[in-house]
Amino acid sequence: MTQLLLDIAPEWVPTLDNFVAGRNIELLSALRHALAETASERCFYLWGETGCGKSHLLQAAVGQGHILEQSATYARGAVPEPAQVVAVDDVETLDDAAQVALFTLYNRVRESGGMLLVSGAAAPSHLSLRDDLRTRLGWGMVYQVHALSDTEKAQALEQHAQARGFMLPNEVTQYLLRHGRRDLPALLALLDALDAHSLRLQRLPSVPLLKEVMYAGKLTPE
Amino acid sequence: MSDKSLWDSCLRFFEDSLPPQQFNSWIKPLAFEIKGNQITLTAPNSFTLKLVQERFLPEISKRAESFLSGSPHFELRIGKKSSAQPAPKPYIAEADTSQPTQPVPKTQKSQNKLNPLLTFENFVTGKANQLAHAAAIQVAESPGITYNPLFIYGGVGLGKTHLIQSIGNHIKRENPHAKICYVHATNYISDVVRAFQTKKFDEFKQFYNSLDLLLIDDIQFIADKPGTQQEFFYTLNSLIDGHKQVVITCDTFPKEISGMTPRLTSRFSWGLTVAIEPPGLEMRVAILLQKAALSNNPISEDVAFFIAKHVRSNIRELEGALKRIDAYSRFHKRAISIELAKEALKDLLASQNKQVSIENIQKTVADFYRIKVADLLSKKRTRIIARPRQIAMCLARELTQLSLPEIGAAFGGRDHTTVMYACKTIESLRNLESSLNADFNLLNQTLRN
Repeated sequence: MTQLLLDIAPEWVPTLDNFVAGRNIELLSALRHALAETASERCFYLWGETGCGKSHLLQAAVGQGHILEQSATYARGAVPEPAQVVAVDDVETLDDAAQVALFTLYNRVRESGGMLLVSGAAAPSHLSLRDDLRTRLGWGMVYQVHALSDTEKAQALEQHAQARGFMLPNEVTQYLLRHGRRDLPALLALLDALDAHSLRLQRLPSVPLLKEVMYAGKLTPE
Repeated sequence: MSDKSLWDSCLRFFEDSLPPQQFNSWIKPLAFEIKGNQITLTAPNSFTLKLVQERFLPEISKRAESFLSGSPHFELRIGKKSSAQPAPKPYIAEADTSQPTQPVPKTQKSQNKLNPLLTFENFVTGKANQLAHAAAIQVAESPGITYNPLFIYGGVGLGKTHLIQSIGNHIKRENPHAKICYVHATNYISDVVRAFQTKKFDEFKQFYNSLDLLLIDDIQFIADKPGTQQEFFYTLNSLIDGHKQVVITCDTFPKEISGMTPRLTSRFSWGLTVAIEPPGLEMRVAILLQKAALSNNPISEDVAFFIAKHVRSNIRELEGALKRIDAYSRFHKRAISIELAKEALKDLLASQNKQVSIENIQKTVADFYRIKVADLLSKKRTRIIARPRQIAMCLARELTQLSLPEIGAAFGGRDHTTVMYACKTIESLRNLESSLNADFNLLNQTLRN
């Protein structure tokens, strides 16, 4: 008989503290200063490959804004209402009208203060956006978000497992890194599935259990 | 005549003929020494030395000839000016990435306010914006009289907003009671829409018609919006009839704005239409030096030259690169040097290193003029083909590292002298035909981006 699970897993939210910085330590520090309003430049453009942590940082900044009792909004592929901290994820997916909205928002932030974080897949000069918006994105602080190395990914996986309340054996981490997809969001999803599976079977996380999850069909290894 | 008077005469000449930033950056730091007919010029670095040799030495030599009995012999070297001010202390980074620069106020709760930081004093001038700058000063000194409207056009991120805000700030300083409004065209559209929705059109008209100075930015945004265009037409007429100054910026010249009613575009050309072009290398260096000095974290000319050489597209990205270097230096607690600049901009430069290829230039130019790439490479010499071909050759010389024979070969096996002739022709035509110049700048910026 299969153990049914109550949906009471501790909620994992992206924060600046649980972001494994790796080579992005300067960026993390710059974001903290901008959020604390100790830096004069508060318009950020973050770019990098899929799964490198852009969305994590944007959501974390918005979360930090809430903690600091500021109005803060996050939107993916759209431009949210103006607030003290605004994050726009995946800028390259904005349509023409949304690009004009972001252009207006950008001007407003520069004139009236506030913090704007925008993320995209490429450096500003390589974005296929309106010229006036593209050049503005290159005007503030531009950072490439670097993907984590394998050691840093292992660290991130162990941290994530701890946050969910279980210990991740080293051999499971190594198997995940060797056989799983390379991007962190996919690895974390696999880890969540492993956690659920191990609770359901009431067995500790192990490589055979991980294989069962990976080869179950839904989340196949590469 | 004394040695001093020769150098003084040179200094006076360059001070009058060059923009102040260029004079301060290239001429003022030079040390001058004369022994008999031997003149030694000492420049602070290799970049300045090269620039002086190429651009200013002929003039200095001409003047020296009229001062000296025989022909002068020049020696150019790198070193410190003996009587110069002490070299600036290298910047030692602080403990964090915060930027305790001059305080940027949380300005402008209202969209119609001017940014007090954008003034003529910190606007860097050069060949690319000299005319626009001169026109703006004239308008600021006698608003509503000389050029009305003043229409400034140019590509993105070249300083149009800075220039028109400078006009506003100048007039405000001279006449604190003047009613001035700086508005971005998108906000003007919102105002029109709001006036319609709230049925407060009289208030809207009263506000705009009562202004002494209207600065409207990026007018191209009202294209394809007939209602807003009609309102702006009335506002423009009313202000101009009342001898109130209007300054407009746009990304292209009036007749090229698509979706704009002809009666409005013809009004735009009533006053003076001036262009702002992308800054050249020297101007980019001067801009960087000034921006860095303003941010209390000065950089050396070598660093400015390094940034200017690699970030070429527009002033915003230039400023972005400078901010990045500043933050990097503060975070790593290291003084700014070329090495540090290279490290800080590593990601950005790696992404930019996508070299412009000659095929790309040919395709972009052919598409722009709606001809075939095969025509560019053919033997045809009709103007409709030959002119774009010459433009493409000129762009290839500017944007690629290819030699002139290689460029000639890539254009259907032509001789390198044909390429030289093409470049010379386009350069002189750019000074004569503003539309060709605008096309060239547009193509140049498109390819660089």
